[in-house]
Amino acid sequence: MDMNQIEPFGGFGLGLRRTHYADFLDSDVAVDFVEVISENYMLDGGRPLRILEQVREKHPVIIHGVSMSIGSASGLDRQYLDKLKRLERRINPLWVSDHLCWTRTSAHNSHDLLPLPLTEEALGVVCANIQRAQDHLGRAMLFENPSSYLTFPEDEFTEWEFINEMARRTGCYLLLDVNNIYVSARNHGFSAGDYIAGLPMERVRQIHLAGHTPGQIIIDTHDREVCDEVWALYAHAVAKIEQPVATMIERDDKIPPLGELLDELDQARKLAASARPGVAA
Amino acid sequence: MNDTPSLAERQAAFMAQVLFDEAPLPQGWNDRHAAGIEVYRGNYRSSLIEALKSTYEKTERWVGEDAFRRAAAHHVITNPPTSWTLDDAGAGFDATCAELFRNDPEVAELAWLEWAMFQAFTSADVASLDADGFTWQTSGFGEEEWTNLRLEFLPGAASRQVSHNMRAIWNALGEDELVHVATALDTPQSVLVWREGERATFMMGSVEEARAFAALQGGMPYGEMCMMLAGEEATADEAQQAAMRAGALLGRWLNEGLIAALRT
Repeated sequence: MDMNQIEPFGGFGLGLRRTHYADFLDSDVAVDFVEVISENYMLDGGRPLRILEQVREKHPVIIHGVSMSIGSASGLDRQYLDKLKRLERRINPLWVSDHLCWTRTSAHNSHDLLPLPLTEEALGVVCANIQRAQDHLGRAMLFENPSSYLTFPEDEFTEWEFINEMARRTGCYLLLDVNNIYVSARNHGFSAGDYIAGLPMERVRQIHLAGHTPGQIIIDTHDREVCDEVWALYAHAVAKIEQPVATMIERDDKIPPLGELLDELDQARKLAASARPGVAA
Repeated sequence: MNDTPSLAERQAAFMAQVLFDEAPLPQGWNDRHAAGIEVYRGNYRSSLIEALKSTYEKTERWVGEDAFRRAAAHHVITNPPTSWTLDDAGAGFDATCAELFRNDPEVAELAWLEWAMFQAFTSADVASLDADGFTWQTSGFGEEEWTNLRLEFLPGAASRQVSHNMRAIWNALGEDELVHVATALDTPQSVLVWREGERATFMMGSVEEARAFAALQGGMPYGEMCMMLAGEEATADEAQQAAMRAGALLGRWLNEGLIAALRT
């Protein structure tokens, strides 16, 4: 197997959240994979890891991080990489992903996905950090396009140009968050269609769908169902992806009973099937 | 000279915006940027406060939601996080509680207990030494081996002295209707925390137990710990009594499954 390649995996999955542990342990949940937040399991031991191992026996797992901080000018945290690698070896996930963002300086951590100025300097930092992370893990990773609430006067690229160049220089793959595209497009006044048209869709291995909070600035809250506009954008995006792709519903707040999320996932299945008839998942 | 800020400088300025209300806006930023920063600042504070609420559920119930939120906000402002894991956001919250709840000193002790249990919950998986294993390993011990014996406790085990009855507070917090029972102890005691299977647990004990536990956990040999309990000017009789008390503590830790290994 080429460690730099990530084979496409088609299917529909959910994020594993504590509220649904019992559902996943005690029954056969109709998902093709589950995604977990890496940092919740980068632990020395105890019950959360044991539960993840039990779920792993039933479903393929994706580990999705929020704290790698590939945009940090101060570089990556070695202890973080070591712990992530230990989890990766333990779980053998389908793939490992994180975000195109930064979360910390050398002094502090924001625990939020902060936006990068889209400059050549930032691109160099991001690419160097991605290379280091991929080398450390011994496998290619996926990176997710962010949602953002401001842009910078010094920007030299559009976000899709930046992502294109990032993927070209590092060989990384993409996690396409359709809700994030919608949120940022509305907040900054660009066309979501232009964004999708500008991405290297052959590098996309996974899609995230989520809800947001409307307002003067739209906020990516993951606390409600996917809205009609994001469903439409999903159908548009998935039609442009020729390879199998994994689709997932994200819910991190006001988490409903599992059945409601499975119903939303069914909607994704139907939309994908009609948007690209004849393509598996 | 190039006076364009580097990415590192831009990120330091952005982080200051997120962490501190009074940080000045970077040059070239307008009201639109200020509105965006407000969103990031709100996300930052709410995620940290939610993390503290999740770690300190019982402390929150004991002091009430509003008082807890004020304490959590104060903690976030005075202790901006440095770790990659949100789990560490609660580190030192017992000290914040000691400062903010001076008239209710049990709050800081309860916060310490919840933090210790939170840490123990995800500590490394290590099997306890059982009584048979202990007997087998110590069966050939002479005086020298006992004197030099070192104990390894389960990872995540912790102890401290307390002046309030943590068991009574814990039990009260387990009831549907919370009653703030009087919990001040006549004499200080200790609380000892560890993980039992998948569950973090604790027990109350003597102050001497906390001293002995801390000394052994810090690497002190068993014989030296016995002398510490006896005191510097102990008579032979007092030294023997201290050795018996140390033996009783050892038996209690063994029965509770707190000991992971013996080192000689």
